[in-house]
Amino acid sequence: MVNEFRKNLAKIIHLRSIIGYNGLVFALKKTPVIGKLIPDRLYSTAFLKVIYWIFHIIVEVFKLFIGKIFGLGMIYLAAFLLSDQYIEHELGGGMSSSAVYGNLGLFMFLLYALCGILIRVPYFNCTTEKEYLVFMLRMDAKKLNETLICYDLAKLFIGYVMAGIIAVITGAPFWLWLGIPVLALAVKFLGIGLQILSFRLKIKLHKSLKISTVAYLIRLTLVLLAGPFFIIFIANGYFIPMPQLVIITVLTVIAGIWGLMIFIKTDSNLHRRALHDNISKTEVKATSQYDNTKSFKKIKAKGTIKGNKKGFDYLNALFVKRHWTMLCMKPVIFTIIVVAVMILFVAEFIYGYYSRFGSANCWNMVITNLVNLFTFRAFSDALLPVGDDPAFEFLRYVAQFHLLGMLIPLSIADNSFKSTQAMFINCDNSLMTFSFFKQREKIIRLFDIRLKQLIKINIGPVIAIGAFANLILFVTGGQSYPGEYLVTFLAAFLLSVLTSVTWLALYYLFQPFTTSVVAKSGAYRITSIIIYSVASIIVWIPLASYILAPVLLVFAAGYVLFLRSRVNKLAPKTWKIKS
Amino acid sequence: MEFVISHLVKNYGSKQVLKDVDFVFEEGRIYGLLGRNGSGKTTFFNCVNNDIDINSGEFFFRGESGEKTPVMPEDIGYLVSTPTVPEFMTGREFLKFFIEIHEEIKPDKTIDEYFDYMMVPEDDRDRLLKDYSHGTKNKMQMLLNIIAAPKLMLLDEPLTSLDVIIAEEMKNVIRNQKQGRITIFSTHLLDVAVDLCDEIVLLHNGRLEPIDKSNLGDADFKEKIINALRDEDNG
Repeated sequence: MVNEFRKNLAKIIHLRSIIGYNGLVFALKKTPVIGKLIPDRLYSTAFLKVIYWIFHIIVEVFKLFIGKIFGLGMIYLAAFLLSDQYIEHELGGGMSSSAVYGNLGLFMFLLYALCGILIRVPYFNCTTEKEYLVFMLRMDAKKLNETLICYDLAKLFIGYVMAGIIAVITGAPFWLWLGIPVLALAVKFLGIGLQILSFRLKIKLHKSLKISTVAYLIRLTLVLLAGPFFIIFIANGYFIPMPQLVIITVLTVIAGIWGLMIFIKTDSNLHRRALHDNISKTEVKATSQYDNTKSFKKIKAKGTIKGNKKGFDYLNALFVKRHWTMLCMKPVIFTIIVVAVMILFVAEFIYGYYSRFGSANCWNMVITNLVNLFTFRAFSDALLPVGDDPAFEFLRYVAQFHLLGMLIPLSIADNSFKSTQAMFINCDNSLMTFSFFKQREKIIRLFDIRLKQLIKINIGPVIAIGAFANLILFVTGGQSYPGEYLVTFLAAFLLSVLTSVTWLALYYLFQPFTTSVVAKSGAYRITSIIIYSVASIIVWIPLASYILAPVLLVFAAGYVLFLRSRVNKLAPKTWKIKS
Repeated sequence: MEFVISHLVKNYGSKQVLKDVDFVFEEGRIYGLLGRNGSGKTTFFNCVNNDIDINSGEFFFRGESGEKTPVMPEDIGYLVSTPTVPEFMTGREFLKFFIEIHEEIKPDKTIDEYFDYMMVPEDDRDRLLKDYSHGTKNKMQMLLNIIAAPKLMLLDEPLTSLDVIIAEEMKNVIRNQKQGRITIFSTHLLDVAVDLCDEIVLLHNGRLEPIDKSNLGDADFKEKIINALRDEDNG
């Protein structure tokens, strides 16, 4: 039996190591720039495998000691600090410092173990090595789980004993040192027993044995909700008397033995079936076959295109019509939210009148002052409710000198990245196999149409953000020079154009998407990061709107023309299906 | 007209997929590009279609008087084994768009006549392409390439996973369309190549080699090809 356990464990660790090492090399090979320098023979380099082994052992030791010591160590530390306080304030009901330490330590451990993480058992989740061992190498599923459980529980026991030594040094009783590891094993077996019992019930009900995380999340939520009450309970000097705690502990140990018996009696089929129903994605599948495309396939044949649109205009119009929800929903929702915030802003403003003049005169004053405002530009009257509020002064400063900051909400509203994904997976991916689609003049023609379309899609958020900035300007004193409101709208529009053209040009210049719509190009990622970084610095630059608008106008025109010329030159080579 | 491939080399890292492809394809003939799985048939097509960069070599058209003409994108029609079509369009919409975009083409048929020619069922014509069967998508792809009338037609295992009826219909279309162009038809199925193609070319160990088809009726013909592939593999 010991021999079989040793052999199985060696198989598991060996396979785990191979999977880990190959997964690491695979990930490195997929890394931009570095990946191309890594040769295939790295998979079979013995020296590096040894280094990986050493690294693997260090991680195991880390998990054994640091993981366990951290989890249990926090409980012991809390018990140690609290026991001091209990003794100092004579709350221990005559117990010694060591007894209070033991009582609080056991109490907190029971909470942690039964309600928290410890009772959750991962043995029926089918990891990559389990999948290979059970379903490809046809290893007995129960024997595999027995080996893993023994190995895991041995680590748990040793880790807890080691953590207990520190507890004993700081004054914990000996029974706590040895009792907690045994109790931990009982809790684990209880978890296993309960899990098997739920599987048996599911089999009776002809249900899949998929492990639900709902129960765990409910338990965790209850613990988090109950947590403050326990803290108050302990902080007020209460504790559960030792006899009751002992009863709970003994019952837990008995339940643990019951769990162990259930586990021993379970046949291999149940283990195999549970593993089968809980197969997680293997590393290879997770990196290469993750299907991202489902969300892009919700296309409905809604109507057709009226009028005399032809060629690429027709293609684009159809594309937008059939992908309206996918392309436009986010900007529309964003616009609605901004409008709602503006309404709240106006309501708050009117409430200022209400609280100052009462309900009878409120509307009267609002209308009178607005008439005064529009007729005589009497802002001081109109802005009575806000007066010299410093918050409004700050907002005014932002609306006048930090219009570049509009790039942040505009980027949030912008859907250009997802639009390029939809263009690729539902349109270009297939049309790229046709020669006409690779002709320079046709590529640039479609690019122009799509750029206009993306700008149109973003027009809602542009108007909303521009209106919001102008509303701030309005309620804080109005425009400071003629045409400032228009300049604000213009700035918002140009920033949105910059966002749209950037995403679209990046798509044409790098075509990063695979047929799973995953952006795989390293150059694309690096360029995006650089652009993001530059933009995140630029948005903080203070610039008066009357300077910003012409600068932005010239820059946007130059930027669009530059990217368009790059697309015209390079896209026939770069805009293609990734092999 | 001839399609000439001269010393074409394609490597993926250290792996040499196409070693020194040197071959002349003639107009009006269907060439069966026969090779084992992973022999580089799709890579060869992707190189010719300019989807991937080649490491060295060249390919061009050679006219009757021997003049060289570069291969332009519009000269190539490429049918991939797993047909991908713009799923948000109906078959009719796609065909309309395709004809409009090819201003140089003067269609001699109406859209429905094209559908009839390719035997696309009537009730499919106004449905989204995403709902088409594999075979009908394949037919659509073929139809578009027929309309575009390219000089060089690359067919990458187009009959794979088609049912018997559609496969037979497609074979007839390919036969009817061979005049005036060069058709290269890749497959790993010997029977399909023998049945459909005028010439058989082996792609093995990164090279193209013609197989004499004069003794097609010979019972040992298949055996000879299999042995050729096996021998080269061992060599």
